[in-house]
Amino acid sequence: MPILPVEAYTSREWFDREQERIFSRTWACAGLAEDVAEPGQHVSVQAGLNNIFVVMGRDRRLRAFHNICRHRGTQLLRAVGKTQRAIVCPYHDWTYDLEGRLISVPDRERQFPGVDLDCVSLKKASVDLWRGMLWVHPDENAGSIMDWFGEVEPHLGPHEVDELAEYPKGRTEHTIKANWKIVVENYIDGYHLAHLHSGTLGMYDHSRIESGFVGPHFAFWEPLAPDYAENVEKNSPYPLVIPAEHAGAWVPMLFPGIGLAETESTWSLFHVNPISPDRTRVVIRTRVATASSWAFARQAARSRRFWTRRVSGKFEGHGDDPMASGDFMAEDIYACEQQQRSLRSPYFEHGPSSVGEAGVREHQELVRRWVEG
Amino acid sequence: MDGTFHRLRVAATRAETERATSLVFEVPEGLRETFRWKAGQHVTLRFHLGGEEVRRPYSVSDKPEGGRLRVTVKRYRGGLVSNHVNDRVAAGDVVEVMPPFGGFHLDPDPRARRTYYFFGAGSGITPLFAMIGSVLASEPYSAARLAYGNVDAGSVIFLEDLARMEEGSDGRLRVRHVLSSASRASSPAPWRRGRIDAECVADFINEHPPYAQDTRYYVCGPGGMNTAVRRALLDIDVPDTRIRMEGYGPVEPPDDSVAGVAAEATVRLGGATLTVPVAAGQTVLAATRAADETPPYSCESGVCGACRARLRRGRIHLRARMALTDADISRGAILTCQAIPITPRVTVEYD
Repeated sequence: MPILPVEAYTSREWFDREQERIFSRTWACAGLAEDVAEPGQHVSVQAGLNNIFVVMGRDRRLRAFHNICRHRGTQLLRAVGKTQRAIVCPYHDWTYDLEGRLISVPDRERQFPGVDLDCVSLKKASVDLWRGMLWVHPDENAGSIMDWFGEVEPHLGPHEVDELAEYPKGRTEHTIKANWKIVVENYIDGYHLAHLHSGTLGMYDHSRIESGFVGPHFAFWEPLAPDYAENVEKNSPYPLVIPAEHAGAWVPMLFPGIGLAETESTWSLFHVNPISPDRTRVVIRTRVATASSWAFARQAARSRRFWTRRVSGKFEGHGDDPMASGDFMAEDIYACEQQQRSLRSPYFEHGPSSVGEAGVREHQELVRRWVEG
Repeated sequence: MDGTFHRLRVAATRAETERATSLVFEVPEGLRETFRWKAGQHVTLRFHLGGEEVRRPYSVSDKPEGGRLRVTVKRYRGGLVSNHVNDRVAAGDVVEVMPPFGGFHLDPDPRARRTYYFFGAGSGITPLFAMIGSVLASEPYSAARLAYGNVDAGSVIFLEDLARMEEGSDGRLRVRHVLSSASRASSPAPWRRGRIDAECVADFINEHPPYAQDTRYYVCGPGGMNTAVRRALLDIDVPDTRIRMEGYGPVEPPDDSVAGVAAEATVRLGGATLTVPVAAGQTVLAATRAADETPPYSCESGVCGACRARLRRGRIHLRARMALTDADISRGAILTCQAIPITPRVTVEYD
């Protein structure tokens, strides 16, 4: 018996309910810590129904506010940028300080006679840094972010995320023609790894996966394949980011839709953003070891032989066929979009679910509880 | 607060520097609850020296989590009690100790994830050391950053303890020494030379930006440093509500510029209301004690806040006010040990 009906993946009504009950009530990832690294810098992020901006003050502390002017509701700040000590609404130049207090209203005496504006403040949200990422929560009193992530943290990799550096070319965005849950389910399905990705993810030993839900988050670990592990210092494509004896891949899916891929040589964020019932944008950002370009070039040269023998497309074919690309992301996108398309067929019905897909069922159950709750 | 003194035996003493000594007290089972402290609070010690009763507040310098009731006393030139403690008090002696109290404290929350900034100088480290210990013991998700000012490496109280705590903290504690007259060969090399001033505060925060965004700032140094640190923090837009301060040490000279008038004081104390005459220039506390009443008090120098009350009517002059913030005063708080009536009728109410 399927846990979620087909409509959960296709209808606007389900999508809206998820936006309201899941994405508007949980900690949302607003990017990487370095996106707001200096006083005055800010970013804004859409988290469910809320648009929240994060700005750093001169005390280097982050503040988060709902991006809504308390006058007529105009959005105060655009996506990214730099502000000084104040936030000015573009509509009527109402000005707030970095504690959110309204400090200036043009022509105040004439335009607002007898109106008390002293207690007007921006609505606060919560913000924190965790694992090198920016996090916001729409509720000012959301409490400690560790109430949400504390339990799963010990199941994540031993990476010192703050000490790694973003690799700008590792930043990619993909619009996938599939519901966000299909993308997430694909991420946490351990059964497909040895099959869809038989030519692309063979450096990990899928027979030794350890995975399962820890609270609302899915934890996942697998070791390196024995021949890769044997000489990982030489064969890693990039300088290692964790000691060789700990090498492995931690690939958790934090709820809702925030995947991490913490491996021996890279650390990546796989951020799943629902756009509409059948559209999802995935933003991938990658950090690597803080090392010279010479060190990267040397490592690439040393490991080249290992990888040319190791990676191939699942099928023979042309380069524009995702199944022949030798790129696991292209393989995943292909599988997700195919699945979404089939949901439209009147002949579609759910088939049996494997042991390796237990996580998929639990994720569906989790979504059902949040949406009904 | 419980204003009774208890006779506690000194279990051990330890020389912390050439000029500072710690006393560890033995707390009998039956007094454990009475002597339970929050990190940052102080106890008052009472001695009879040269035929005179003297009291001094000292911060408990160990964490409440498994720590022992300990004070660390630095000698001051001409300091009656500080020299007595350093020269005379030994293990086995009995000292009169009032139970811990005070509003400068840190209450750890095991779920919280915070960045604590501590600014301390000299013996101002004592409450901060207890707080740092408490954060490391009870708030596993929080981080502590200490800027610690001293004259030279030899005068740093808890130098080795702090180094060991930093070493074992997995990055959660960072200690940065600021030495005002460090020699080139100073060990450890200071993070910077000079004093904890505005520039030092700004650099410290820039070099140690908040790890968690719920930040708290605790400041304990001589009056001048406290004022400078607070101003520097406000200047970079730290909200005042996140800053906690306590002053210590030889107090600034009292403000005796106002003479005061003879007055009649109505004192509300523990449910009773009494009327006491106050001579011109006499403090409300002294007048109340002269009437055989037992109002709460401790240091009698405006530092500890034990004698705090609220002014309900009339006006008074405060000779010193270290234990009060501007906000406290604007809400009518006074220190009765420093309060001299300047109107013929005043009404004060103890908390």
